[in-house]
Formats: sequence, C-alpha cells, structure tokens
Amino acid sequence: MIETPKMKKSNRTPKKKQPISSPDRVIEPLTPQTSTPTTNLRRSLRLTSASPQPSPAPSRLKSSPRSGRKTSKSYKNAAPHSPTTISITPASPQPTESGKKRKSQDKQAGSIEKRRVLRSDKCTSASNKGKKRVYYRKVIYDGGEFSAGDDVYVKRREDGSSDDEDPEVEECRACFKPAGKRIMIECDDCLNGFHLTCLKPPLKEVPEGDWICNYCEARKSGKILEFPEPPKGKKRARTAREKLLSSDLWAVRIESLWKEVDGSYWCRARWYIIPEETAVGRQPHNLRRELYRTNDFADIEMESIIRHCYVMSPKEFSKAVNDGDDVFLCEYEYDIQWHSFKRIAEIDKNEDDGEGADTDDDWNSCDESDSVSEEDIEYDDESKINLLPQTSPAHPVAANSRKGRIFGLQRIGARKIPEHVRCHKQTDLEKAKATLLLTTLPKSLPCRDKEMDEITTFIKGAICDEQCLGRCLYIHGVPGTGKTMSVLAVMRNLKSEVDAGSIRPYCFVEINGLKLASPENIYSVIYEGLSGHRVGWKKALHFLNERFSDENKRGKDIRPCILLIDELDLLVTRNQSVLYNILDWPNKPNSKLIVIGIANTMDLPEKLLPRISSRMGIQRLCFGPYNYQQLQEIILSRLKGIDAFEKLAIEFASRKVAAVSGDARRALEICRRAAELADYRAKKSPLSSTDGKIMVGMADVESAIKEMFQAPHIQVIRSSSKLSKIFLAAMVHELYKTGMAETTFEKLAMTVSCFCSSNGEMVPGYDTLLKVGCKLGNAEYYCVRLAQGTNCRNCSSTIPGESITKMRLSIRVHAYHRSMAIIYINGGHELHMTLTTNIK
Amino acid sequence: MGRLNPAEQAKIILRSRISSPSFVFSFFSQSPDSNYSKLKYIISSSVTEACNNSVLLLGPRGCGKVAVLEIVLEELLKEHPDMISVIRLNGLLHCDNNCALKVELPILPPCCYTDCMNILEIARQLCLEHHLMFSKMASYDDNSQFLLSMLRECGLAHKTIVFVLDEFDLFTQGKQRLLYSLLDAMQSITSQAVVVGVSCRLDADQLLEKRVRSRFSHRKLLFLPPSREDLQSDMMIATRFSAICHMDMNSGFLSVENFKSALPSIQRQPKLEALKDCSVLELYILVCMKRLEVKELELCNFNSIMKEYKSIHDTFQTSDYYARNVCLRAFEHLLDRALISFEDNKGHGQSAEFRAVKLLISWHELHQGLKSHRSCPLSHAILTSKCASVAVA
Repeated sequence: MIETPKMKKSNRTPKKKQPISSPDRVIEPLTPQTSTPTTNLRRSLRLTSASPQPSPAPSRLKSSPRSGRKTSKSYKNAAPHSPTTISITPASPQPTESGKKRKSQDKQAGSIEKRRVLRSDKCTSASNKGKKRVYYRKVIYDGGEFSAGDDVYVKRREDGSSDDEDPEVEECRACFKPAGKRIMIECDDCLNGFHLTCLKPPLKEVPEGDWICNYCEARKSGKILEFPEPPKGKKRARTAREKLLSSDLWAVRIESLWKEVDGSYWCRARWYIIPEETAVGRQPHNLRRELYRTNDFADIEMESIIRHCYVMSPKEFSKAVNDGDDVFLCEYEYDIQWHSFKRIAEIDKNEDDGEGADTDDDWNSCDESDSVSEEDIEYDDESKINLLPQTSPAHPVAANSRKGRIFGLQRIGARKIPEHVRCHKQTDLEKAKATLLLTTLPKSLPCRDKEMDEITTFIKGAICDEQCLGRCLYIHGVPGTGKTMSVLAVMRNLKSEVDAGSIRPYCFVEINGLKLASPENIYSVIYEGLSGHRVGWKKALHFLNERFSDENKRGKDIRPCILLIDELDLLVTRNQSVLYNILDWPNKPNSKLIVIGIANTMDLPEKLLPRISSRMGIQRLCFGPYNYQQLQEIILSRLKGIDAFEKLAIEFASRKVAAVSGDARRALEICRRAAELADYRAKKSPLSSTDGKIMVGMADVESAIKEMFQAPHIQVIRSSSKLSKIFLAAMVHELYKTGMAETTFEKLAMTVSCFCSSNGEMVPGYDTLLKVGCKLGNAEYYCVRLAQGTNCRNCSSTIPGESITKMRLSIRVHAYHRSMAIIYINGGHELHMTLTTNIK
Repeated sequence: MGRLNPAEQAKIILRSRISSPSFVFSFFSQSPDSNYSKLKYIISSSVTEACNNSVLLLGPRGCGKVAVLEIVLEELLKEHPDMISVIRLNGLLHCDNNCALKVELPILPPCCYTDCMNILEIARQLCLEHHLMFSKMASYDDNSQFLLSMLRECGLAHKTIVFVLDEFDLFTQGKQRLLYSLLDAMQSITSQAVVVGVSCRLDADQLLEKRVRSRFSHRKLLFLPPSREDLQSDMMIATRFSAICHMDMNSGFLSVENFKSALPSIQRQPKLEALKDCSVLELYILVCMKRLEVKELELCNFNSIMKEYKSIHDTFQTSDYYARNVCLRAFEHLLDRALISFEDNKGHGQSAEFRAVKLLISWHELHQGLKSHRSCPLSHAILTSKCASVAVA
C-alpha cells in the first residue's frame, strides 16, 4: 500500500527518485527502517545513507548519483546517460556507501551492527524489558544543546567538496572577508551579504524596506554582471544556508530525542523541504528563505545534526530582521503524498510551544526514571500504529462517518499556494477588516475582568477544595456579551497554571446544546469527553451515574471534572430529566463534578421545576450588555496600531449598538462592514489611489448601520408596480375605514376600482387584481397575510389562488411602514387626497 | 433547413436574449453600484482575504437574485479555479418535513429531522466536491464534526466554501440548528466560508433567533424590479416576448401594434372568458348558487340548488325549465370548468349531487360575465340585479 504513492511520485518527479533506483527498494527490507513503516517514505529512504550497513564500500560508488538540483539538471541534459547510471546502482549492494564510510570512520563497525539488531528487535517485539530507550527533553551533544521542538541542519551525505568546515560567519560577497565589525547588508533577492562599505556606491546605513544588490538589479534589467571572482587560493566557503537552499543540506525539526540502549543518541525528525523539491517547484511568489514543513518523519542519529537553524512563522520572521543567516520562514505544510499545501494552524502551534515551554522542568527533573520512558515508548509505538492506517487506508472509508476520526481530509490541500496570498500587500483597511473578524482571537479581553475573576475563583474554589464538593454556576446574558469567550479564557489561564504545576489537573468537557442532535445525546458526549469511548446515550447515562455516584466504580481517574454547557435552555425536555440528571450529579458526594451552564434568559431556573431550580439557581453570574464606552474600548483594542478609522466613527457605531442591544458581535460587524464599504469605494474609484488613504468615516458607519438595522420595505414599495401600490393603499384605506384588522378581497376590489376610476387609471380586471394580490400576499409575505375567513369553511385545504377571494386579508406591515407606504403612494402618484384625510 | 431570412434570425436572437437571465443581468454589471459588483466584492474578498461573511439577497420574485449570484459564482470559479466549492441547499427541497429519506435516519425527535437532513446533504455535497467517500448512515454528530473539520482544513488550504441557501426563510423554521452550527463554526474556527441566503421575504433576518442573529453578519443586498412606471412591471418580459413572437415577418420590425396585441394575451381574464362560454342553464345554476350564498345558507349541494332553481322559475315565470338530469349534466360541466368546486375532499363515494359545493367566482365577476354574455336573456340581468340588491341589503 505504501508503495503505490511512491511509484506515482517517482513518475512525476523523476529527479528525486534518481538516487534510489527501484531495485533498491527490494533490498530495502534489510534496513532497520522497514519495521517502522512511517519512516519508510521518500526522505527516509534517502536517509538510509545514515543508517549503518556493514558492507565493503566499493570505491566505484563514489560516483553514485549526487542528489540535488544541479545534478538532476545535468541528467536532464544528458538523457541517454541516465539509464546507464541507474543500471549501475542496482549492482551495488547498497547505494548508501558514502554515509557508511563516514560512519566507519567515526565508529567501529561492530557496535553499529549490534545497534541495528537491537533496534529491529525492539520495533518488532516492542518489549525488551532490560534495555530501554531513554527519552530526553534536552540533549547536549557535541557542544550544542538540542531539545525537542528545535530546528536543526542535518547532513545530507558525505560531500567530497571542501566545505566541510561549515563557516558560521558569512563572508562578504564582494571582498570575501568575514563581517568583522563592519555592518553587512543582505540582498533580498539573491541573499548574498555585502559590507556596506564594499558596495558601489557605499551605503552609510541600512536602508528601510527591501534592498536589492546591483548584481541582481543588473540581471533584472537584462545585463549580466558577474560576481567578483574570489582571490586565488581561497575558495569561497558556502554557508549552511546556501547549502540548504541548494539542497545540499536538510533541515529538520526535532520531535523527540532518546538514547538507545547502546548509548547512541537518536532523534525523531520532521523534514523541512525547500520549494524546489515540491511537485510544483519554486513559484514566483515564494520567498527566498521559505521552507515547507512536510508530514514526513524519520529517525536520525544525532551525529548527523550540524547545528541549529531557526524556522519561524511569518509573524516571527517579520520581526527577526537582525537574527543572522540561519533564519527561515515556514508558513505551509506540504503533504508529500498528495502534493498539496496547507497552512500550519496557528492554534496547534501555540499549543505545542506552550507545552514545550511549560513542561520543560518536569522533563528535566524526571529524566532517568524508568516509568516515564516506558510510558513514552508505549505511546510512541501506539502513535506509529495509528499513523499507519492514515497513510495507507486499506480500503476506502467514508469521510463523514468514522466515529471521532475523519478520513481522507489530508487530501484536501491547495495544489499551489495561491499567488494573491503572498504578492498582495495589505492596506490599513484590509488589516482593519482582518482584525475585526469575529474569528480572530483578540489578544486581550477588555471589560470583562470582574466576571472573569469571579469565574476563576469559582472554579478554583471548586477544584482546590479537598472535599471537592460539586458545584454549579449559571451564567446568563444577552447574545454577544462574551459569556462563552470569558469562560474559555479562564479555562486557558487555568490550563497554563496546571501546566505550571500550581493546580491539580482536571478534565474539561465543553458542550453546546444547539449542536446536539437531541438533548439526551449529551450523555454520550460527556462520556466520550471523559473516557474517550463512544456509546449510546442510555449506556452512557448508566456509566455516568455509576461514575458520579459510586466512589468505588469511578476507577483510577480521580481528577475533578468541569462541564461547560453552552445554550443550556436547549436541554429542557418535557419532563426535564436531562437537566435534572446533570445538575443532580454535582450534589453527590465524591462526584467531583462542576457544572457551568450558559444561557440567554435570566430566569431560566425559575421556569424549571423547583427541584431543578434549587440545584441550579444558587450561584449566578450576569453578563450585562456592554455600554458604549466598553464597546468602544473593545473595538479600539482590536484596532490598535491600525490607522483606518476615524475616532468619531467608532464612537458613533458603539453608541448605536449600545442603544439597541449592547452586542459586541454586532458592533464589530458594523465596523467591519463600514471598513468593507470604504474599501469597496477605494477599489472601485480609480482616483482614490492617487490621493492616498481612505479613512472609515461617519458616512460609512451610518450606511452600514442602515443596511443592518433597516428593513427594506419602503424601498421595495416605492419600486413596485403602480397597481400593487394602489392595492396596498386600498387595503390600508379599507382597514382604517372599517376599523377592523381584516378585510375581504371583494370589498378590497371595490375600493381599488373606486380609486382607479376616481384617479383616471384604467380599472384593472378582476383576475389581474387577483394576481397582484396573490403576488403581494403569497410571495412577499410582508404585506398581506391570508387569514382564515369566517364565511369560508375549511380554507386551509384550498389553493390560495382560488380562495383568496373568500379570505380575509389583513395587513402585516408594521404601523410605521404602513403610514410611510401611504405617503410614498401619495407623493409618487398623487392619489386621491381624501385617502389620507380618511386615514387621519 | 434553408437559410432563414434576417427577420427570423433577429427574432431568434431576441428570444434567446430575453429568455436567458445571464444576458439580462450581465448588462447591468459594470457599474459599481450594481448588486453584481457588490456581491462579487463580498465573495471575492472572502476568497482572497480569508474572512467569513454572511450575505442575504432580498427582493421580490423575478428580480434576478439567483441569476446574479450564479453569474458571480461562475466568474469567481473561473478566476480562482480549484479554490471555491459551492454547496447549494434549497429550503423547499431540503426543509421538507415529509422528506422520504427520513426513514433511513436514526430515530430522532421530529424537530431534528430537517437539520439532520440538511447537514447530511451538506456533507454529501462536500464529499462529492472533494472526492471523498460518503456514508449515508452517518449520524448527526459525525456529520457536524465532519463539517467542522472540513471548514478548518479548507480554511488552512486557502479554499473557500460558499453555502447557498435558497428560500432562506424556510431554514428559519424550528430551532435553527443548522444555521447556528454553521454561523458558530464560522466565528470560532479559522475558516473561509460565505453563507449566501436568498429570500423573497424582506424581513428574513428578523426571523432568525436572537443568538443566531447575533452571529449573522448582516450584509444585505436588495434586489428591486428593474422598471417602475408601468402598471404591472412583473409582466414586462412576458409581454416583450409575446410581442416579439407576433413580430411582422414581412417588414422585419417590431411595431406598436405588436405590443398592443401582445398585451391582452398577457392580461387575460380567464374567469370571464369561461363565463362567456357557459350555456344559459349553467348561468342559471351559478345565479342560484349566488342567491343561496347571499341567503347565507350553511351548506349547498345540487339538491338545494335545484330547489332554488325551481323557486326562481316559480317567482319570475321564466319561459324555460329544464329537467333534473339535464341540470345535473350542466352542474357537472361547471365542476369540470372549475367555476364551482366541492367544499372538501371527503366523501368521494357519494354521488356528486349530495356533496357540498362552493362557488369560486365573486358576485362582481358573475355580474360582468352576465352582462357580456351574448345570448343571455334580459331576465338574467334583472335576476342578478335583484340578487345584488338583496346582497347589498
């Protein structure tokens, strides 16, 4: 199964396959890697060069194909030669001689042999009791300090060339002397470094923005300007960065580190890849220092690691201006199976980082303890097993139905990175739009400090009590006042405290009432959150009852449990048993359950049965609507550093929203819409590009508010046909005249024909009028409702078209709109003046 | 097929242009004030700037809401190939409670069927779009989980999902779980998605529940009928079309006469025409029914009509009196022409004469019809005017 994608790939990118000709793969099972299928991917295949194989290194193998860009080019040029080279390689028992040679230089062959055996044993049997791998968080190796999560350079192969010494200091490309005390500047195109003084004309200081050296500039303008030749006898030393970008080195991210039983250090690494090595090659908008993270792992030995490099997210990268030469940018993950790109999720990265930083101390303190390492080994093996079906599903699996795990999603990914993502430079307005998105998590949560404190003390009090009596908190407030957000922020803070070790660990289950298929389903969701197994709700209820009420049966999991139920009112069933069960558990001794319920209505507990409200209504927390200062603060805190809004405009928007609902989402949406309108204006009018910035002003905010709050009835009435206007006017007239809420179509038809004849309009036919009435009533529900008439029994079974004559009509437009409609009709068509006098 | 003469060709071109909505609306698309460019800006900004949006397209029927949307989507799909996937749901199709598929679903309370169906449909279309396997038996939880992870993955891969919800107002029935989970997902995870609701109810956003409304981003585009000053603007295209059909082939020009002749063919008065063709006896029956209605009798069937017919005959001494079976024939003919109908659908077993019937035309129409009838005896007019006086009294 694993073979097939590789075959495909080899067809597509033949140049990568060249180092490994197909017969190698047949030999491959001899190498230890085969026992761990995940490492059996392309990169790791090449990496077998690092794995020791005791075999005599034939000297002819020195001519083994150089992988990398340059050689592949030469192959392409010399097409007839390539078959011969490939045919040579299979003859050699191992294509990996160069790595071997190095190894045999460094170590004795015997120990290598032994280690290999041990490793394969471990992987197959996975239980070699006496000798175990010992996992580390941090390893000091060869003078460098490496820890999991670091990015490092890795030797690709033994390079016969002279740049073994690996200069840490970059040399000036013009004078070939190291930087020394003089300042160097880097060309943004070719990445070469220059002394400021070596330039022609020399620069005084580093210029703002991008800078391109004269050589690149010349090349762009079509001329060829050669770089100066290095002085005789001195070979220009390539830096590690240059080697990496010309694929003579690799970069990896260390995922975990361990010491093998024989004392050698290994690490599990995740490859980075340079744009040239992807299926689409380098795209014009790729940055010079861009790398892709792959989803490919391999175990490598520590000694092939050269030194640190720094792969950063775009945000960090933009800040790291002066961090030297080993800085790279990585924004995307590259799927080597499907050749697709995917952005690296920020959240999961943050989590990773947080974990790494926080648990560092723990790792160091319990380095040598066997129990830890054993657990880790188990975990490691498990993850390998898990990975296996993902990379090679034996048979097609439905994407939407696997319980808890979703298949096939790795296939989704962009074939290419879209150009507009990179090439486009964001204006202030676009930045404002992005930060005002509801999705973007604000850096700080202003205006809810008091409530968050209260939640924190509640949870801490509940967790840290020795008894840990169950408790219940009810949070209420209108939509968009930050209820869920505050609770989640508190939980994040607590999690970091748990990681720091100041609070005991707990488990946290989050449920949204509206996302459950039925209220009873909550049991199975809770049970899944606690135990990881999915069962039917009746069984889950049984288990949960046992867990929370019976101390003996709860097993070894003694952590307190926090349950967050959003939209609590959706759980109210007819006999309210779901709510009762959930709220009854906290009161059981030793249940260690804390329930936080969130809903909109203030008096939800009072609406429930007394036995429930007595359990729930004790502790409450109210999130009042935001007032305009708070809204203003929220918007300003998001827009910090972006100069796109007039201050008055923000105040206007927040005052408007505060007057209506105090909904922060609404306020943000209004501002975003206003920014969109301004942006739209800026993009559509060609003049604006010259006069510079467009600020979001009062007018934009006002039109956004209008769009959001105003119903468009009036506009539609104004533009509708004359007959329908007359129809509506007649209806209003009829209703005011009779003082009733309803009228019948026949009376209405009379009035309409009266109006028409007195205004010199053509009296419409009865059927035409009926058509208009049906259209108004049936399609545009806003105007006319067909109420069931008294003189027409059983109206509901008839077709509206034929029964409208018998039905009573009542107008449904709001009174305000009604009078407006009259005014428009009068103003537009000078209908009978008596109409309005009649009405008033 | 010989060569068509130029007039024929012109006719064909005109017809095809009038009947294709994309031509009609692409004509207006250039100006920045048009709905086309506004909608395109909103959707394309979601594609290029990775933000979520939700838009409502409002307006009366026949104003080109869906047509403009289709043009926009088609163009964006061309501009950004492989980056947009469109999920279409129609409230009339997918919000039907009596959907035949529901038997296959796991047992759920009835209010959840529609949401479950909808989310299943979304999952199906997503799977189809991305060439994934799809299982019909997946539960609601699985499907919504799938939807969430699809949104996240597509957001990471710079792909936009456009949800088109036609007949948006029908999605607001029930607890609005679908809308809630869609909109909540859009505001809580990094994704690029646009929800486009199309509705002819102008207050469609007021129908949303308040927690759903709070998550909705309230962009509204109002579509108005294109012309204003004629009596019935909605008839315009049909009128033009039939005028072109009547185009004079000899001259090759559209004349005012064509339009004049086209207009009555559009504004027909089917009931009056039906009355015109009725026999005298049928008119008698209609008048009898009207009189019975004026007298506010609870129920009327053929027998009570016959009684009334007899009493008319007695009081006004009309010249002709038909036998009962002839009247029954006329009565059945009226039923066939749908000028009268049975009161309810019950009692199919009974013969027609005993079932309650009701009149489907108003007094006004009947009056007009009698006046315009070519062979109506004068007494009829008197009858109806009498009848009218009774009605007014």
